[in-house]
Amino acid sequence: MKKLIGFVAALVGLLWAMPLSYAQKTFPFNGVSDPREGLHAFTHATIYTRYDRRLDDATLIIRKGKVEAVGVDIPIPKGAVIHDLQGKTIYPSFIDLYSDYGMPKKKRQDKSGMTHGRFNRRPQPLTTRKGAWAWNEALKVDFRAHTHFTPDESKSQSLHKAGFGAVLSHQMDGIARGTGVLVNLGKGRAHELIIKEKASNHFSFNKGSSTQSYPSSLMGAIALLRQTYYDARWYAATGRREEVNNSLEAWNEVQLLPQIFEVRDKWEALRAVRLGQEFGVRYIIKGAGDEYQRLEELKLTGAAFIVPLTFPDAYDVEDPLDAMQVTLAQMKHWEMAPLNPARLAQAGIPFALTAHGLKKPTDFLRNLRKAVQYGLSKEDALKAITWTPALLIKTTDKLGSLDVGKLANFIITSGDLFDSETKLYENWVQGQRFVLEELPKTDLTGNYKLKVDSQTWDLRVEGDPSKPKMHLQLDDSTKVVVKHRFERQLITLSYTPPDTKGKVRLSGVVEKNKWWGKGQLADGSWVIWEAVPEVSSDQPTEASSTTQEKKEQKDPLADIGQVWYPFNAYGWTERPTQKTYLIKNATVWTNEAQGILPHTDVLIRDGKIAEVGQGITAADAIEIDATGMHLTPGIIDEHTHIAITRGVNESTQASSAEVRVGDVINPEDINVYRQLSGGVTTAQQLHGSANPIGGQSSIIKFRWGYDDAGMKLEGADGFIKFALGENVKQSNWGDNFRSRFPQTRMGVEQIYVDYFTRARAYGELKRSGKPYRVDLELEALLEILEGKRFITCHSYRQSEINMLMKVAERFGFRVNTFTHILEGYKVADKMAAHGAGASTFSDWWAYKFEVYEAIPYNGALMHEQGVTVAYNSDDAEMARRLNQEAAKAIKYGRLSEEEALKLVTLNPAKLLHIDDRVGSIKVGKDADVVLWSDHPLSVYARAQMTFVDGIKFFDREEAAVLHTRAQKERNRLIQKMLLAKKHGARTQKPSGKMPHLYHCEDITDEIGGIE
Amino acid sequence: MKHISISILVFFFIQNVLQAQYVPVPAPPQSEPIAIVNATIHVGNGQLIEGGIVAFDKGKITIVSDGKDQPDLSGYQVIDVKGKHLYPGFIATNTPLGLVEIGAVRATVDYQEVGSFNPNVRALIAYNTDSEIIPTVRANGVLLVQTTPSGGRIPGMSSIMMTDGWNWEDAVLKADDGVHLNWPSPYSFGWRQFKVEKNKQYDKQVNALRAFFDEAYAYYQRPEVEEKNLRFEAMKPVFDGTRRLYIHAELAANIQEAVLFAEDYGITPVIVGATDAWVVADFLKAHRVPVILRTTFNLPRRPDEPIDLPFRTPAILYEKGVQFCFSQKGFWQQFNLPFVAGQAVAYGLPYEEAVRALTGATAEILGIADQTGTIEVGKDATLFLSQGDALDIRTNQVTHAFIQGRSVSLDNKHKMLYRKFKAKYEQLSQQ
Repeated sequence: MKKLIGFVAALVGLLWAMPLSYAQKTFPFNGVSDPREGLHAFTHATIYTRYDRRLDDATLIIRKGKVEAVGVDIPIPKGAVIHDLQGKTIYPSFIDLYSDYGMPKKKRQDKSGMTHGRFNRRPQPLTTRKGAWAWNEALKVDFRAHTHFTPDESKSQSLHKAGFGAVLSHQMDGIARGTGVLVNLGKGRAHELIIKEKASNHFSFNKGSSTQSYPSSLMGAIALLRQTYYDARWYAATGRREEVNNSLEAWNEVQLLPQIFEVRDKWEALRAVRLGQEFGVRYIIKGAGDEYQRLEELKLTGAAFIVPLTFPDAYDVEDPLDAMQVTLAQMKHWEMAPLNPARLAQAGIPFALTAHGLKKPTDFLRNLRKAVQYGLSKEDALKAITWTPALLIKTTDKLGSLDVGKLANFIITSGDLFDSETKLYENWVQGQRFVLEELPKTDLTGNYKLKVDSQTWDLRVEGDPSKPKMHLQLDDSTKVVVKHRFERQLITLSYTPPDTKGKVRLSGVVEKNKWWGKGQLADGSWVIWEAVPEVSSDQPTEASSTTQEKKEQKDPLADIGQVWYPFNAYGWTERPTQKTYLIKNATVWTNEAQGILPHTDVLIRDGKIAEVGQGITAADAIEIDATGMHLTPGIIDEHTHIAITRGVNESTQASSAEVRVGDVINPEDINVYRQLSGGVTTAQQLHGSANPIGGQSSIIKFRWGYDDAGMKLEGADGFIKFALGENVKQSNWGDNFRSRFPQTRMGVEQIYVDYFTRARAYGELKRSGKPYRVDLELEALLEILEGKRFITCHSYRQSEINMLMKVAERFGFRVNTFTHILEGYKVADKMAAHGAGASTFSDWWAYKFEVYEAIPYNGALMHEQGVTVAYNSDDAEMARRLNQEAAKAIKYGRLSEEEALKLVTLNPAKLLHIDDRVGSIKVGKDADVVLWSDHPLSVYARAQMTFVDGIKFFDREEAAVLHTRAQKERNRLIQKMLLAKKHGARTQKPSGKMPHLYHCEDITDEIGGIE
Repeated sequence: MKHISISILVFFFIQNVLQAQYVPVPAPPQSEPIAIVNATIHVGNGQLIEGGIVAFDKGKITIVSDGKDQPDLSGYQVIDVKGKHLYPGFIATNTPLGLVEIGAVRATVDYQEVGSFNPNVRALIAYNTDSEIIPTVRANGVLLVQTTPSGGRIPGMSSIMMTDGWNWEDAVLKADDGVHLNWPSPYSFGWRQFKVEKNKQYDKQVNALRAFFDEAYAYYQRPEVEEKNLRFEAMKPVFDGTRRLYIHAELAANIQEAVLFAEDYGITPVIVGATDAWVVADFLKAHRVPVILRTTFNLPRRPDEPIDLPFRTPAILYEKGVQFCFSQKGFWQQFNLPFVAGQAVAYGLPYEEAVRALTGATAEILGIADQTGTIEVGKDATLFLSQGDALDIRTNQVTHAFIQGRSVSLDNKHKMLYRKFKAKYEQLSQQ
C-alpha cells in the first residue's frame, strides 16, 4: 500500500506570524495585540542544515523567527505547531547579494539624452546637487540603502518563488553607489526586516543617472575612483581643515564594509581588482557571467565573485542570412554560459549566484538547475546560494545555514532541489510562512475495499497522485467510473452502480486507516460507508512519463566547444609560444647601416633576433624558405585607437591628464588580429583629441590572445596625448558646446601655461615634505616637467605647433611628437631645432578647415629638414596597410625606399623611445618581424607571417585554417541551436555585436544612463 | 612629324599655371592631332598592348595599334613615351567629389538635400569646377567622376563629370545618369550596445518605397498629366530604361530584395555598395545585375569573416562572372582609387581586369561605354600616361593626362604648396 503521508493540518490561521513576539515597539498598535510564539516543528524531513550537511528524517524547530533546534530524534517542545514533512526536504533559503529590492524607483533618463545626446545637451561641468557634496554627481557614496528601504510585497512574492529569503539591496546608480542593506524578504515593516543596515559598499563603472559630463569614458570612471581614494585619504588626514566634504566623510565611513564592484565583463573584473589593489581594497566582483572565458587570470586575482545566471536564449538561426549577423562569440557564449558556475567552482574561485539580470526571478531556479546539469556539483550550487553569500557579507552568524540561533529562513521542497521536477512548497522567512504551492494532498492512489451499505466494491485509485482517477473494478474487464472531489481531507465520491438508475453519492473524511462517512444511495436512503486500503501489492508505475522525457535530454556536456583565447573566431585554443625560426634566403630590410640585404638568413631564438647573415644553420630551428620574399621589422603604429574599451576620449574637461588608456585595453578586439595580418606588431594607443590635455597613452605589442596586462610593452616610457586646434576648441561639436574654455587657439595656449604653472607649484609642494593631496592630473603634468612623461600632440596648423614648442621651451621640456602635424611642412625647421618628431598621415586632408592646406608631401618635407617622421593610422582599416602608406612618401616627395619603410618601423620606434628593442632587424633586438610576399612597399605585398617576440602570431595560411575552424564551429552551434529550438527552447532574434571603431574625435558618452 | 620631349611638355604645364590660385586653368580643346608611341596600353577591356600606338584628334581616338601595322602618323604630333603605361581615364563612382570642399565646413557641403524622396535633385548643379580637391584626384589618373548626392531614401541624381572644366555645363559628360536609392536596412544599429538588431521599421520603409514607385510608375504610364510632379518626372527615364537606377544595398537579403523590386518595374538596377555581393554572386549573375563595389579599403563587415574578405571580393565576383566596378569612399580620398584596384590585384584579381573595373566595365555600368572607358577607336581620348604601374602607389606617377583630347594640367594645390615650402627651405639654406 502506498504510504499515506500524514500532514497534520494544524491550522496556523494566518499564513504568517509576527516574528518577534515580545519585542518592544515604537509603533502604536490599533486594537488588541496578537503576539505569537512562532513555535513550529518540522518533522521527518530531509534537512540540509548547511550546503554540506544533510540530515535524514530530521526535525527542525523554530521559535520567534529563529532556529531553536535541529537534528534527528530531538524532542519536540510542547505547544509547537507540527508540520509532518515526510518525504520533503528543507534547505536554507537563498540569499541574493545583488538586488535593488525595496529601493526607491530610479529616475529614468531620457534614453536618447544619455546616448547620442551629448550633442543635444549642453555640457554640465559640475554637479548640480545642493550641499557640501563631492564635485562629481556619480559619487553617490553617501547613499544609505537602509534609510530608503521599503518592503515591496509584490516583488518579494516573486523572490519567494525563486527560493530567496534574504537579499542585499542597494541603489544601482552611480559609480560610487553607497551602502547596501541586508534584508529579509518577509512581510511587515522595514524596521523588522532589516538584518544589517550597512552591510556593503557598492561601485560600478557606470555613472547612472548623473547628468554631469565627467566622466564620459571607462578610463575616466577609473580615474575618478582612483582620485577619490586619494582625496579621501587626504581628507581624513588634513583635508578636513581645508574644506567640509560630506561625500568624502561618507566615503571614509564605509571603507571597512565588504566592497562590491559591478562589472560588465571579465576584463572589467580585472580592472576593478587592480584598482582595488592600488588602495589595498579587495572587491567582491559582481561579474557578468563570462568569467569562464578568462578563468586563469581571474583566479590569480584571488577575488570572490557574485555571478548571474543569465544564460542567453538560443538565436533563431533558421534563416542562414539572418544567422550571419550573429557572431561566433555570441553563439559560443550561448553554449557555454551555463558552464560558467561549474567552471568557477572547478577553478576554486569563491562565488555566490545572483538572480540579477534575469527577466524574472523564477528563471533563477531553472537556470540554477541547468548549471547543475552542466557540471556544477549540487553541493557547490547550494553553497553559492546560501553559505557563500552569507560569508561574503559577514553574516554567517545569522544566515546561510540552519544552525541554532540563526534566522529561520528556509524552503520546503518536494525533494532534491536540483531535480527539474522538484517543487518549492513553502518559503519561510524569519519564521513567517509563505506558501508557494500547496503541499500535495494526501496521496490517495492505491486499492481499497469500498463498503457501502451491504455492498463491497473493489475501488481502484490510479494515476497522477495530484489528480488521481477512480473506478470500481467489477471484474477483469468491467469498470465503473467514480467521480470524486478531495479537498482538505474531505472527500466526495459518486458513481452509478451496475444495473442501477441514479447515483450513489458519498461524503466523508480521509483518515490514516480509512475513509469513511455518510452517503445517499440512488434511492435517497442514507447510509454509512467506508473505504479501507488493501494491503499493499505492487506499487503502481508512475515515473514512466518522466523517464521518457529524460531520454530526450542528452548529457549537455557531451558536445561543448572549447574556450578560445581571445573568445572569438580567430582565438587560440593554446597560447602560441616562442620557437626557434630560421628564415632563409629573404630580402632583409634591416633599417641598419647594412641596408637592404638580398638572399639573407635571419635566425630567431628566444624571442630575439639571434643572427643575420648568409648560410646560417641551426639544427633546432624551424626553417622557413623565404626565397623571393621580403623580411622587414614589424610595423609600428604610432597612433591607434583600436583595442580600447568604452571611450577613447575623456572629452568633458579641458584637461584629463589623469586618465590612462592603459586601464582600458581590450585584448579581444578583432582588429588586433586583422592588423597583425598587415604586419603591425606594436602600437601606441592614444587618448582622443577632444581636449588640450588628453589622457595617458599605452604602448602595446600585438600579442593576440594575451590579457590586457600581457599586451603592454614592458618598461615603455610614459606618454600623454595633447591636442590643438578645432577639436579642442570644439569647433565642430554644434552650438551646445560654446562654453568650455578654450574656444580659440588663443585660449589653448593659456590652458597649457596655466596647467604647467600649477604643476610646477604642485611639484614644489610635493618636494617640501608638507602633507598634500595627491592630484593625479597634476602628477602627470609634473612628470612631463621632470622629463618622465612625453607628449604626443595632435596638431594641424603651423601657428599652434609653434605655440606649443614655445610653451614647452618656457617650462624647460621638449614636445616629443606632434601627431597628424599636417602643417608640419611649414615649420619643419623649427621642429627640427626644437627636437620634436612627427607622426603624420600620408595623405589625409580636406575633412575640416584646419587641414585644407595639408599636403601629401608633408612627410618628405619634414624628413628633409631632419625631423624624425613616422606615418600612422588613427584608423582601424588603414592600419592594415601602413606599408602602402609608407610608399606614398616615395610617390609624394621621392623618399628612398629604405627611408620610406622606416616611416612605419624604425622612426615610430624612435618616437616611442623603443628603438632599442624594436624597429630594425639587428641581433639582440626583439624578434618582431614580418615576412612579405612581395616588395613591402608595394600594393601587391601581403604579410605572410608576423612575429612578435619570436612568436608567430599571424600566418596567412593558418588564418585560413582558423577561419575554416570557425565556420565549422559556427555550423555546429547553429545546428545545436536549431535542435534546441525544436525541443522548445526559448529563442531570440538574431543580433550582432559590432566592435566600436574609434577615431580621435569620438566623444560619445559611453558610461552614462541607467541600464 | 614633330617630336616633343616630355620634359618640355612638363615645363609647358608649369608655365601654364597661374601662381595666384591653385586650381589650374582648364585645358583648351585639342588643337592638333597627337600620337603616343611605344606605350604599354591597358585598353580597359581586359586587353594589354605592349609597345603600342594610340593617336587621337579632335578629342577622339583615331588609331589604336600594336605598332606592327605601322600606321601613318603624318600630321600627328608624336610623343615617344618609351614604355610608359597608358590607361583610359579612371572613373570614380558614387562619390560626392565636387559637391564638398571641406568636410566639416557646412557652407561647403552640397551633397544632401532635405527630405527622403528627391529623385529630381541634380548633383551636377552643385559640381564645383573650381574645387581644389578635383585637381589632386585628377593628378593620379582619375579623369571622370560620377558625382553623387546622398542621404534620405532617394537622394537624387548623379552625373558623370569630367575633372577639368570651366563650369558644370562644359564639365559634364553625361547629365543625370541615374537616380540613387538607398535601400532600407533590415538591421538597425543599437547605438548603446553596439549591437546590430532587426530594424523594426523595415516593412514600413519598404512599403513606403513601393508606394512611391507605384505612383511614379502610374504617372509614367499616364498619357497626359494634369499637374506636373517633378519627382515623378525624374523617374520617367528610369522606367523607360534611359536612366539608371542605382540601388545602394549591402546585405545579401537586401540585394536580392532590391533587385526583385526593381524588376517589378521592368528595371535592371545597379547595386551600389554590395558588401555581401560575394554571398549572392550567382543571383546577381543570373539577373545580369552589375555592382559598384564598396571600396576594398574596408574592414570585413562581421568579425568572423575572413580577415581579407574586402580585398578578395573583387576576385570572387570576377570568378563568378558578376559585372562590377570599383569605388572608393569619400571625396578627397578619390585620389587613392587606383590603389583600391591594386589591392584587389594583390588578392587574386587579374591585373587587366582590375583596370577594366576602373574604366571599361565602369563605363558600361554607368551607361557611357559608347563614348568612353576604353582605348578604342572612336571613343573619347580620355586617357593618361604613368611612368610606372598606376595601380601601385610605388610606381603611380602620372605624367600626362588628356580629357577628350585636351591636355589637362596635373598641377594642384598640393604641388603648389610643396613648391612654396621647398622654396622656404631653399631660402633658409642660402642664409
